Amino acid sequence: MFRYIIDRVIALFITLFIIVSIAFCVVRLMPGSVYDQDGDLSQTVIDTLNEKYHFDEPIIKQYGYFLKNVFLHGDWGTSMKMRPNVPVFEVMKDRIPVTLQINLISLFAAIPIGLAAGIVAAIKKNTIIDHFVSFMVVIFISVPSFVFATCLQYFVGYKAGAFPIIYDASATGMAALHSMFLPILALMFSPIARVARYLRAELAETMNSEFMLLAKTKGLTYAQSTIRHGLRNSMVPLANIIIPMFANVLGGSLVVENIFSVPGMGGMMVDSINASDHMLTVAILVFYSMISLITVLIVDISYGIIDPRVRMGGKK
Amino acid sequence: MKDPILEVNNLRVSFRTYNGKVQAVRGIDFKLFEGETLAIVGESGSGKSVTTKAILGILPKNSIIEEGEILYKGDDLTKYKEKDFYKIRGKEISLIFQDPLSALNPIMKIGKQITEALVLREHMTKEQAKKRAIELMEMVGIPRPEERFEQYPFQFSGGMRQRIVIAIALASNARIMICDEPTTALDVTIQAKILDEIKEIKRKQKLSVIFITHDLGVVANMADRICVMYAGKIVEVGTAREIFYSPAHPYTWALLSSMPDLETKERLFSIPGTPPNMIFPPKGDAFAERNQYAMQVDFEEEPPFFKLSDTHYAATWLLHPNAPKVEMPEALQHRIARMNRKEGV
Amino acid sequence: MVLYEDNKAKYDAVSKDLFRLVQRDEKIHDVEFKTKPIGFFMDVWLRFVKNKASVIAAVIILIISFFAVFGPGMNEYTYDEQHTELTNMPPKVPFIAKMNLGFFDGGYTMENRKYDNLNDPEKYPEGCILEVINPRLVNGERIVDVVVDYYKYKGLSDEQCFWFGSDYLGRDIWTRMWRGARVSLIIAVVSVCCNVFIGVVYGSISGYYGGKVDMVMMRITEIINAFPRIVVVTLFIMVFGTGMFSIIMSLVIKDWVSTARMVRSQFYRFKGREYVLAARTLGVKDMALIFRHILPNSIGPIITSSMIAIPTAIFSESFLAYIGLGLQAPEPSIGVMLSRGQKVLLQYPSQVVFPAIIISLLMISFNLFGNGLRDAFDPTLRGAE
Repeated sequence: MFRYIIDRVIALFITLFIIVSIAFCVVRLMPGSVYDQDGDLSQTVIDTLNEKYHFDEPIIKQYGYFLKNVFLHGDWGTSMKMRPNVPVFEVMKDRIPVTLQINLISLFAAIPIGLAAGIVAAIKKNTIIDHFVSFMVVIFISVPSFVFATCLQYFVGYKAGAFPIIYDASATGMAALHSMFLPILALMFSPIARVARYLRAELAETMNSEFMLLAKTKGLTYAQSTIRHGLRNSMVPLANIIIPMFANVLGGSLVVENIFSVPGMGGMMVDSINASDHMLTVAILVFYSMISLITVLIVDISYGIIDPRVRMGGKK
Repeated sequence: MKDPILEVNNLRVSFRTYNGKVQAVRGIDFKLFEGETLAIVGESGSGKSVTTKAILGILPKNSIIEEGEILYKGDDLTKYKEKDFYKIRGKEISLIFQDPLSALNPIMKIGKQITEALVLREHMTKEQAKKRAIELMEMVGIPRPEERFEQYPFQFSGGMRQRIVIAIALASNARIMICDEPTTALDVTIQAKILDEIKEIKRKQKLSVIFITHDLGVVANMADRICVMYAGKIVEVGTAREIFYSPAHPYTWALLSSMPDLETKERLFSIPGTPPNMIFPPKGDAFAERNQYAMQVDFEEEPPFFKLSDTHYAATWLLHPNAPKVEMPEALQHRIARMNRKEGV
Repeated sequence: MVLYEDNKAKYDAVSKDLFRLVQRDEKIHDVEFKTKPIGFFMDVWLRFVKNKASVIAAVIILIISFFAVFGPGMNEYTYDEQHTELTNMPPKVPFIAKMNLGFFDGGYTMENRKYDNLNDPEKYPEGCILEVINPRLVNGERIVDVVVDYYKYKGLSDEQCFWFGSDYLGRDIWTRMWRGARVSLIIAVVSVCCNVFIGVVYGSISGYYGGKVDMVMMRITEIINAFPRIVVVTLFIMVFGTGMFSIIMSLVIKDWVSTARMVRSQFYRFKGREYVLAARTLGVKDMALIFRHILPNSIGPIITSSMIAIPTAIFSESFLAYIGLGLQAPEPSIGVMLSRGQKVLLQYPSQVVFPAIIISLLMISFNLFGNGLRDAFDPTLRGAE
């Protein structure tokens, strides 16, 4: 088990290194000057900047400097366009918590709803309730999050006036939660549907299994056998789909953040690409990679912990 | 004989399918007496498993009990609701499954699976339940039970898992144990051991056993009485001796002739044709289509049971006084003669 | 138990001639199946049409495809023709407008207008006022909200209209939307075809040969899988620019992996089967084994998974367009229209409504269609009605 984790962690760092390298090269080879397009900088200023940031040297050397800075000083470079001369890390520091907050709240709110819907649908299989849940699942999975976001913004935010149309960054406490409500809701649809669909299929299959029958003939009541055997067994593979959702929702939040003007990572990524603020783009791409690689790692490890077959076998 | 402990009267069970109603069990009657082993023998699809599922109330959702009654301690089990069965299952009647590989929950410790019902229903403490579980595991022949208690099913072999399933079935001191082809999924070498185990436990615990199988060979030295089922009906019932030494129904003949043994030199008999479609069960004797000895009447009217002895009944027109005299197949006669000689020796 | 002894009279009454052996010397054969054999695809088809939701979905997909092909040519506008004087026009369809249903009538609500000016033909050309709502007094002035036919208000003739309205540059939304749908469908279908092609070839080789080859090939897919989708797609488009080709490739580069894995697992399932061994002992070549004996078994899962990949591709395309990494302007895309419309959502919701409905319908239909196919191809349901 320990070796297994070590292997996984090493693999993670290798992949991350490859991603950083590719991202750096791709972004730096993009057309467009690192300096402001208007270009009213004097040659001396450019020379000074070049000396400081090595923009005039070959890309390989620049990459060397970049790696050195990252590993030795934790310095991801300096933003050149969006907030000139502010270290990239500083730019991102304020935005990461907002993104994480919205994503995590929406997921943690969505999972129990999805679980409940899935359980009800599986137990009441082929009844009107089941059909209703299946119908909602298709809608929730199909309709893109930005369409949901737009609808919510128009109907709930604007027409009904129940919640603020855009995120209020200055709000605190309950007011902050209030202004976060719509983006969180918009991000919840897809996870709810995915959890519900998965659990319904899984639980319905488990309910038909021989060991459920044995649990019944053993003398457990319907509720006891459903909870102790059906649900418990369905939960194991569920971990496998819930954890990657953290990475997926992050991608979806990109647009939702934009719609509700949330000052998070999503909006910044789009802006930095459009503004060709290269160092910032690289750092943001690495941030997204980190999140998704870590979730994959957690999936692998948690699988080992939950499923005795993997745990006892020593490896997968 | 003592009083029957379980009595099935004119039970009919059907399944609703998209193609129509499948009549899986078409009016069967049998009695299970205290302390005996009753074997129900038949091809797959003859309705044996459906009968046992009806007894325990674990029929699939698309099934209907059309008529009949299942009497246990004066109660009709067909009238039971799910929560009534809760009192019966495990405690009074327990079941051993065909496939021990899938009958155990793969992610729950063996010990917990045995003690679960004891703790939840008998309200034993965990320690008492564990003590009992280890006794049970010893009884079914599992070495080092304390160690095994903490393990998971995937660490057990097929035979060991079936022993665990038996231990679970025994946990609450049920009086009737239904064994639904308990050895079919196991290696032949393990089969005999498990059968011996079941026999031994039955003797010690004074259980009544219903033993379902498609393999007459398995029941030869297990069963006290045998019911032969075909197409949802019982065609012949008698003591093991009567069924093996003086079978009367052509289907029983066919089954016996298709059973291999060491001395048979002729080609083994196989029953021609396929079992009938149970959506439209044939008029008359369901076996007539495949029966070399079929008479015109078999295609037109259902045969009643003819009494051969107090314990032996067979439903075939061949026993009617008007029927031509027909001998059982020669190969079978030889075999029975051989068996008789052996016993004489 | 019906005993003979209890009903002697009844059973002895059975006619004596019935008691003759009728099959004694006949050879008894297995009874032939009375039903006609049903082929694989026929069986799939029969089960597919049983599922009403997916049939409806298929019809919707066909209708949308029809409009995606012919829709842009149905009126006089082109997708990039700008009408700077006619920006943000509300939707109007002449014959629906005549029915006074309250929609598609070019209606636009102008708020806080002076009531007294309503009869001034200078300000409100004749016949342009559809409805006057919400009268109120503000500082002694009578103020109302007026719903006008914006086309008449602008002094346009009855014939000129944008069916679904126009956008911020005065381009026809109907034309742009269908053209956008066409782009979405092309990108989705082409990328899924590429996925399937690469995935099937890769997965077949990996699954068929197994061993070291398989290990190396699966390692490669694992590495590709480790890259987050959004990062790969973004980088790819940054390098290759925002053309149709690079968008398709950016979708293919990661998505073929799942097809490959699925095909590989199918190969693992079938290659050990007796019929494959039998074919091999008869000297059938590797390629023939792969394509004639094993692959056809996987046709169901392959079709199903590619149908389910289509909505994902449609979503990805519109998502990229939405964040500004889509096709170059003026080429329309539903994602671009949504993100543009979103900016003026509160004033002109109709600019979002139509593209949103189309993309949602497309996604729902493809998902339902895919579900229907999955059930139809499910081998455990084969033969069941």
